[in-house]
Amino acid sequence: MFVTVTLSLLEGFLGTLRLFCLTLLFSLPLGLIISFGSMSRVKVISVPIKLLIWVIRGTPLLLQLLVIYYGPGILLQKNIWGSGDAGRFIAALVAFVINYSCYFSEIYRGGIQSIPVGQYEAGQVLGMTKSQIFFRVILLQVVKRIVPPMSNEIITLVKDTSLARVIAVYEIIWNGQSFIKSEGIIWPLFYTGVFYLLFSGLLTILFHYIEKRLDYFR
Amino acid sequence: MALLEVENICKRFEKTEVLKGISFTLNEGESVSIIGSSGSGKTTLLRCLNFLEMPDEGLIRVRGETLFDSSAPAGNTEEEIRRKRLHFGLVFQSFNLFPQYTALENVMLSPRLVNGVPEEENRKNAEALLSQMGLTDRKDNYPHQLSGGQQQRVAIARALALKPDVLCFDEPTSALDPELTGEVLRVIRKLSEEKTTMIIVTHEMAFARDVADQAIFMDEGVVVEQGSAVEVIDHPKEERTKQFLSRYAEA
Repeated sequence: MFVTVTLSLLEGFLGTLRLFCLTLLFSLPLGLIISFGSMSRVKVISVPIKLLIWVIRGTPLLLQLLVIYYGPGILLQKNIWGSGDAGRFIAALVAFVINYSCYFSEIYRGGIQSIPVGQYEAGQVLGMTKSQIFFRVILLQVVKRIVPPMSNEIITLVKDTSLARVIAVYEIIWNGQSFIKSEGIIWPLFYTGVFYLLFSGLLTILFHYIEKRLDYFR
Repeated sequence: MALLEVENICKRFEKTEVLKGISFTLNEGESVSIIGSSGSGKTTLLRCLNFLEMPDEGLIRVRGETLFDSSAPAGNTEEEIRRKRLHFGLVFQSFNLFPQYTALENVMLSPRLVNGVPEEENRKNAEALLSQMGLTDRKDNYPHQLSGGQQQRVAIARALALKPDVLCFDEPTSALDPELTGEVLRVIRKLSEEKTTMIIVTHEMAFARDVADQAIFMDEGVVVEQGSAVEVIDHPKEERTKQFLSRYAEA
């Protein structure tokens, strides 16, 4: 039984991992773009983006998953997500990417705005272009400052992926819970917790390492 | 012909007039110190020369080339302004070194990015500048490992690396402990002896007098008095200058 459960949970964890990795892949860069938008001096850009961030951060991710999955079907009378498991997975991914991009954008914004204006001015009087200043002077300082809040958010994402089950996206808890019905045993559910703990432990070590690597300057 | 000609520079922020028509000239190899109380517009003037602020009115010419002319406001695209800035160097009150780079890398970064100086030559120049600043054994240190005085000397080397026509100092010792002030002033004094063209905004009156050829006393956005540094600081003619300097003498 233990082997059966382990294999089933591993399969579920693969779904968890897939959602986790793809969410990061898209939301890390998208968050940076959104942060530039929210800092834009052009009101037509910054106001709608701030509104979006407010809505996304102000409502539960669970609700967003439901709205994004069912919303288009009800409004357009058409399932834009495609059928079956794949379609549900895409809908879940879109919801996660939007949600996490908004959170990341606020972390980026905080990081970028915490860099003293003197750093930009020093780059300017040294004749650097705007992009040279951003990429060669500012960016690494921002990265250093945002590693702790980012690691927080990313570890939250590991656990948030379990919400995807609300639209029947298979992940580890879904598989663990199925044993309650089929076999009448509850321990696989606790076993899923071990997976989460191990994975978030691994991430903690990784982020600690990154922090250490950036310790050489202040 | 003067190396630098500044005519009638005016600058307003919202409704506050910060500079009300500043004019002066500076010959090659000479230096001018700008003195005056806080809020008199000294820093804004330096920031205008370095195009960190755009003047509202006036004219800036270096070696006869017009860099800024409010009556012919063409030629102010970002790229052109970036090029024009290279005529000036600026040393900030708060150093503003790049924390993720060593002292040497701080000096080398901009010549590499902006002028494409070959690596070997760039390194040699940077090392020479740092040794001129007395920092040879500190070249591989990061800014946070350096004292304020050392950081400011790295910042001076960094500004010199681009070989500006005019080097500007914005209160270079105001953020330093008194015992660190001397090492920075000594370096500036040496630059003056080597005939570096400089504009020095400072509150160190004795230094302003000894190092600079000219002095300008500014108050509320206008030049109240200007002349040879010794004359202005030791024998001021204007009442406002006398008042300002006597407060320093008391302190």
